[in-house]
Amino acid sequence: MKSKVPIWQRGSFRITVAIILLILAGGAVGGVYFTQIPPEQPIQFPHNFHVGLGAQCEYCHTGTATGPSAGLPTTDKCWGCHQQLTPRNADMELVVHYAEKGLSIPWVPVAIQPDFVQFNHQPHILAGVSCSTCHGDLTTMTVAEPQKGQNMGWCLDCHQKMSTPEEFVRLSDCATCHY
Amino acid sequence: MAEKEGKEKWGMVIDLDICTGCQACVTACSMENNIPFVGEDEMAYGRGMQWMRIRRYWEGEYPEVAPAHEPMLCQQCGNAPCEPVCPVFASVHSEQEQINLQVYNRCIGTRYCANNCPFSARTFNWFDYELPAPMNSYLNPDVSVRRRGIMEKCTFCVQRIVKGRQNASASGREIADGEVVPACAQACPTDAIVFGNLSDPESRVSQIARSDRAFRELEELGTDSRVTYLKGGKNYGS
Repeated sequence: MKSKVPIWQRGSFRITVAIILLILAGGAVGGVYFTQIPPEQPIQFPHNFHVGLGAQCEYCHTGTATGPSAGLPTTDKCWGCHQQLTPRNADMELVVHYAEKGLSIPWVPVAIQPDFVQFNHQPHILAGVSCSTCHGDLTTMTVAEPQKGQNMGWCLDCHQKMSTPEEFVRLSDCATCHY
Repeated sequence: MAEKEGKEKWGMVIDLDICTGCQACVTACSMENNIPFVGEDEMAYGRGMQWMRIRRYWEGEYPEVAPAHEPMLCQQCGNAPCEPVCPVFASVHSEQEQINLQVYNRCIGTRYCANNCPFSARTFNWFDYELPAPMNSYLNPDVSVRRRGIMEKCTFCVQRIVKGRQNASASGREIADGEVVPACAQACPTDAIVFGNLSDPESRVSQIARSDRAFRELEELGTDSRVTYLKGGKNYGS
């Protein structure tokens, strides 16, 4: 016997639609979530500890004032200090391991830009922007964490606040970042 | 940041009397700007990707026939036909550099701009082109690798202009004449391509552009193109 209830009013149909929507929404939330968590690093590098010791950001991320990329420290840079230290934990023993084998530490970059964005550290550092403006307060982080909401509007917002209207012509030009 | 605002109007002069048509500029442009090599078949379909090409044509009637050639690239029109037709504002005019920009992440590939370009200077990515293994190391990190469905064109090597300005600003000075050189001008063995700032009357490119031999392609269209060609009489070569 044919049911008189239209298909969109049947319980089974509504439950199926609800499950599909839930799966899609869950996938979307999960996808966004995985871009917001810090990636797995070979060594759980304690930024807060090193900053607390008085190490400047530029000591390890040397490229900031001279080029587009800040750079990640080489094993030699770590070993310069760490060869004078006795390893106190597993992470410090890993540094010894990498240095004695002569391997580079496979750091995973955290603050990355999409392929169509050309970011240059140099003009930002020379304009006196502090590292924590974009990278967050590293004194409260162990491994570096991706910062939320760093989209083009956020870039332009800061460019507008930091510049005169004449300078903003250049700082809002598409070719400043996209080419 | 105390920084003087230099209003550059970038321009180029190509001397056709000393251009040999060797295509070094075409090769240099492809290497600098990560332009894929599409292969013979796609080229035959008219899907070739070159931001710069050497137009070859014949002058005169047989047997008094002589070949002529002319490097053709985006003329960076001040009054560009490609710009007003883009529905998503991917083809925009740069206030700062005074050139036409193509914003790849905005482009949706309607190809309206290319159809409206009187110089046929724009090329379209019909496919995602794979670069075979050793060649991918040649990719220039300063330039985005475009994907399928994106319109692209000569940018006057805007990555070099931006880098030149940042270098100049880092040492607290203006961009010097001849400091910014696009890949084609750098590769030209006869120095037929000169690039520089047209708003500075003393720059080398401005001085050469005032030559009696100067003309612009399709000037009657009123596109105010930034590329000037030089061509003398017929008293040489042939």
